[in-house]
Amino acid sequence: MKHIVKIMTLLVAISALWGGLLQISMVPRSHALLLPIYFVVCLGCYGLLMVGVGLMQFPTCPQEAVLLQQDIIEAKKYLKPRGVDVGSD
Amino acid sequence: MELADRAVGFLLSFVSISIFTYYTFWVIILPFVDSDHFIHQYFLPQEFAILIPVFAGVVLLCFLCVFVGFVMLKSKKKKA
Repeated sequence: MKHIVKIMTLLVAISALWGGLLQISMVPRSHALLLPIYFVVCLGCYGLLMVGVGLMQFPTCPQEAVLLQQDIIEAKKYLKPRGVDVGSD
Repeated sequence: MELADRAVGFLLSFVSISIFTYYTFWVIILPFVDSDHFIHQYFLPQEFAILIPVFAGVVLLCFLCVFVGFVMLKSKKKKA
């Protein structure tokens, strides 16, 4: 319940800010009207950028991969005579 | 595998940055440029700056609803 209240207050604050910005004639009117859509598009772009950057920097740890394969082989050898079938080869 | 991941990541970041710069230019900088500057021919008319994000949002919403409905139907069929 509290989380929803927090999100609602944030939304109300942002709308009040936008309304105030519309009243002040420092920013051109057409710009102030387009601001919400601009921010939504910016947020989407930022999310995509973070995903792309995370993908690029993802560590693959090749040594760990080799160790993992060895562990898998060992486990299979251990379990096979005990009758447990660990499947797809 | 690592190279494919990095290529996809790079492509995603490139697309996102290009969309961001194009949209920023379109919405913020273009209204201040005189209407007979050559740069205006590279940008669609200003109404599209609102239509395209709204249309994309509506498409996303519809896709989400259809997906949720599809999953619900499939789970109900499996149970029955």
